[in-house]
Amino acid sequence: MGKPSDLVQGTLDLLILKTLSVEAKHGWAIAKRIQQLSGEILQVQQGSLYPALHRLEQQGWIKAKWMESETGRQAKFYSLTAAGRAQLEKETASWERLSGAINLIVQEG
Amino acid sequence: MRWLPRLRMRVEMLFRRNRSADRLDEELRFHLEQQIAENIAAGMSPNEARHAALRAFGNPAVLRDQARETWSWSGVETVLQDARFALRQIVRSPGFAVIAIVTLALGIGANTAVFTLTHALLLRTLPVRDPGELVRLAIDLSATESNGHDAPLSLPMIEAIQKQSRTMYDVFGWCVYDFPFRDGNVNGGIHGAVVSGNAFDALGVRPAAGRLLTPADDQPGGGPDGLAAVISYRTWMSRYHGDSSVVGRRVVVTDHPVTIVGVVPAGFEGVIAAEHPDIYLPLEFVAALYGQAAKWDGGNLWLVAFARLNPDASQAQAAAEMKAIFPAIREAAVPPAMRNMPAVQKSSLEVKPARTGWSKLRSTYTQPLLLLQLMVGAVLLICCANLSGLFLARATARRQEFAIRGALGAGRLRLMRQLFVECLILALPGALLGVGLAWMVGPSILHMLGNAEAEDAISMQPNATVLCVTVVCALLCALLFGLAPAWTASHTSVEAALRSSNRRTSAGGAGMRNFFVPFQVALSLTLVVMAALLGTTVTRLLTEKSGYRTDNVVFALTDFLRVPQKGEALVSLYRRMAERIRERPGVEQTSVSAISPLMGWRWSDDFIAMDAARHTRPLNAMENIIGAHYFSTLGVSIAAGRDLGNSNDDRNSCIVSQAAARTYFPDGSALGKTLRCVIHHRRTGEPDTLRDYQIVGIARDTKYDSLRESPPPIVYLPILAEDNGSTNGGSQLFFVIRAQSIAAANSAYLTTLHEMAPSSPEIPPVAFSQVFRDSVARERLLSVLSGFFALLGLLLSCIGIYGLVAWNVTRRTTEIGVRMALGATRMRVFLLVVRQIAGLLAIGVLCGGLAALLAARSIRSFLFEVQPGNPWVFLASAVALVAIGLFAAALPARRAVSIDPIQALRTE
Repeated sequence: MGKPSDLVQGTLDLLILKTLSVEAKHGWAIAKRIQQLSGEILQVQQGSLYPALHRLEQQGWIKAKWMESETGRQAKFYSLTAAGRAQLEKETASWERLSGAINLIVQEG
Repeated sequence: MRWLPRLRMRVEMLFRRNRSADRLDEELRFHLEQQIAENIAAGMSPNEARHAALRAFGNPAVLRDQARETWSWSGVETVLQDARFALRQIVRSPGFAVIAIVTLALGIGANTAVFTLTHALLLRTLPVRDPGELVRLAIDLSATESNGHDAPLSLPMIEAIQKQSRTMYDVFGWCVYDFPFRDGNVNGGIHGAVVSGNAFDALGVRPAAGRLLTPADDQPGGGPDGLAAVISYRTWMSRYHGDSSVVGRRVVVTDHPVTIVGVVPAGFEGVIAAEHPDIYLPLEFVAALYGQAAKWDGGNLWLVAFARLNPDASQAQAAAEMKAIFPAIREAAVPPAMRNMPAVQKSSLEVKPARTGWSKLRSTYTQPLLLLQLMVGAVLLICCANLSGLFLARATARRQEFAIRGALGAGRLRLMRQLFVECLILALPGALLGVGLAWMVGPSILHMLGNAEAEDAISMQPNATVLCVTVVCALLCALLFGLAPAWTASHTSVEAALRSSNRRTSAGGAGMRNFFVPFQVALSLTLVVMAALLGTTVTRLLTEKSGYRTDNVVFALTDFLRVPQKGEALVSLYRRMAERIRERPGVEQTSVSAISPLMGWRWSDDFIAMDAARHTRPLNAMENIIGAHYFSTLGVSIAAGRDLGNSNDDRNSCIVSQAAARTYFPDGSALGKTLRCVIHHRRTGEPDTLRDYQIVGIARDTKYDSLRESPPPIVYLPILAEDNGSTNGGSQLFFVIRAQSIAAANSAYLTTLHEMAPSSPEIPPVAFSQVFRDSVARERLLSVLSGFFALLGLLLSCIGIYGLVAWNVTRRTTEIGVRMALGATRMRVFLLVVRQIAGLLAIGVLCGGLAALLAARSIRSFLFEVQPGNPWVFLASAVALVAIGLFAAALPARRAVSIDPIQALRTE
């Protein structure tokens, strides 16, 4: 997906939260992971990734920590908080509801 | 608990912004490096990898900005950016900044000064509990008396309202009074008030020391401490040095021992604005002085009444209730004989809001202060127009900068906001400087009120309200004068500005600037015309023949209420004292008088002209009770007949003014005729005594209580003893003393007072010239201030015109160079430059003339012997304005003329 405006803001949040639910990652790793898991279809632009990360941090769903990365450089690692986990479940549920409803309509015809 | 980390983040964003920015940079760099590493791992060369990564990454600067946009406080960050930029601009052109700040300081300073006075006199709420609940009750006698608005009440009426009213409670009365005061070896007068027992309770005031008066103190004989008194905080500090032993101290007020029981809090000055009572006594004190009958006299209106509205009642409901029950109250309270007087029958009770207290000064000064506020607002508008023009010029010069910004992506609002911030950066120091100016000038303005008591009571220190208003004023000004430049800056056409490098032949913003000059000229003309009219008024008033000699004359008020001499002995005392004063060195002539002219007091009675051809009814005339030599003391000549003598032979004689002679005896001389004075008994209202006076002299016409009115008919009666022990003029007559110097007159009076009436209080004499000047204090205040504002407005307009023409010349330098190269003479160039301004001036003068006419009509009531539409004033003002405007335009025009055409064409 090309332009950031194609992806609804909430959906990006959901993807980030899901990616972080497994282990803590830095920004680059999150983008790479989303790209990998979606089979190279979803490519997150940096212009929307970092603002989204900042927003999520401000909401208190993820927390950040500067640690040494695999290359030896210092990087900012994000991890999910307890509140973030609850939010992830909520958003997953609502996404399934929404996509289910859309599926019903689309497959109708 | 999620808000805690959120709050922490927000705080960190605010205070550790730079560190966060660095961290973000690091994060983005890390991301980029990872991408490059991945590209290298995929097989690209390092250079290719880097380029591919950057291409995928995008513009780092834009990325950074996008990320930062989501940070909180980004609005604050941009405003700070704008502010820093604005400061740099100012530092680069300090002259411009200084002009702007000084202009604004003058405008805002003038506004603040006038507003401080307005606030102190008209708007300051009383420092009591819930001032919004307070109302004032006043009797309206205007049906029968021209001066009958806002009459006070009597005590029986107040008690009746307290008992019967369902909409109001805590009704209390208040009366200002001057008392003789003795404490130890201090013997003088003290300014104070008598108040109802429940007054302090009703006001909800807490004592600073001791206790305040209660209804128990208002009982016959006083309360538990005898007659109790409460002193002001100011007196406590100055006279007793804040010593708490003042509670319980015994002092003597008007020869009655009184106990001080407490001190009112600081800042409390009673309910009458611009009065500063130093002592508060209960109403019972009046009974101690004059008897219970005097305190409870239903026919004497002397108490200013206040009350509190019930929480569920409105002022309108209270007024309606009073309308319904007042006739019954009046019947019960007013003595039987007075009930049928037309003044009583037609009177009504009004309920007025009282959160700001009440003041007699207000009725005189409300309109002048509002007028001054409007004028000073006009000056501020002229200031803003000037500043707007200045900023417009700068904005036009910076067109390229704005074009570049626009090209780089700045939105219109962003550019406008930047210009507003620049205006604000200049407005706030200007406002600060203005407040400082106002603080310095404040006391002199107050002095011009001409009221010594008000000067003591009103403080011209800028307080919180005034400062708030000043800041808001500054903000509004910045918005106002920033509007035009901001609009121009944000609507710069990007391509046009970037393409044309020549700044000297393009227009831009000129249209708007051309609007300011007529606007300023119109306002200036209005101010000048009003100032001229008011100045003429004051001149006419001050040169108005009052009929008196005012130099080296003093009026000394005596208070002989408590001297041992009564009746005839009192009359004789006054006579002997007058003789004694006359014998003193330096004194030329002395007399006694009940009324001091031009102090605003009136005393009138009905007289019937006897011996007249027709049977006449009683006609009202002004009255004065005088001793011998009154007319020679004041320089009033006797047109016919003689002056009153100093003995009791003249007890049935009187002197009338020429106007009175014409009124009572229109045909034939009044000398030798008789006037019958109809004295209404105070209690019964029936014509009681009929005294006949024979006219022995006719005096020249003089003014009586006001310079504005033409000389009224005045009847001068001799001093006679009354049955109650005082004279027919009371026990507080004036000594009128003419001497070779004011000091000689003062010392003569004081030494004689100490010699012959040592127990009476010493009241400093007042110079007649001072009284004369104070009687036109209001007009003087108006004329001086309006003149100053007019000059200020004129100066600012000239600066505006100068600025505009100079800017035009600079803009059109090349064009002028071309014209001169093509053969235009110097005179033609000069006319070219000036012609435009002349057109604007003409428009301004026309509009200004209309506005000035309307304004002059509205101040008709202030003017004296000058018509609002006086053509000379308008013509002179317009000519002066045009002349000054052309002069201001000529200065830069001369510069245009001396342009070297070759030089002008070269510098592009």
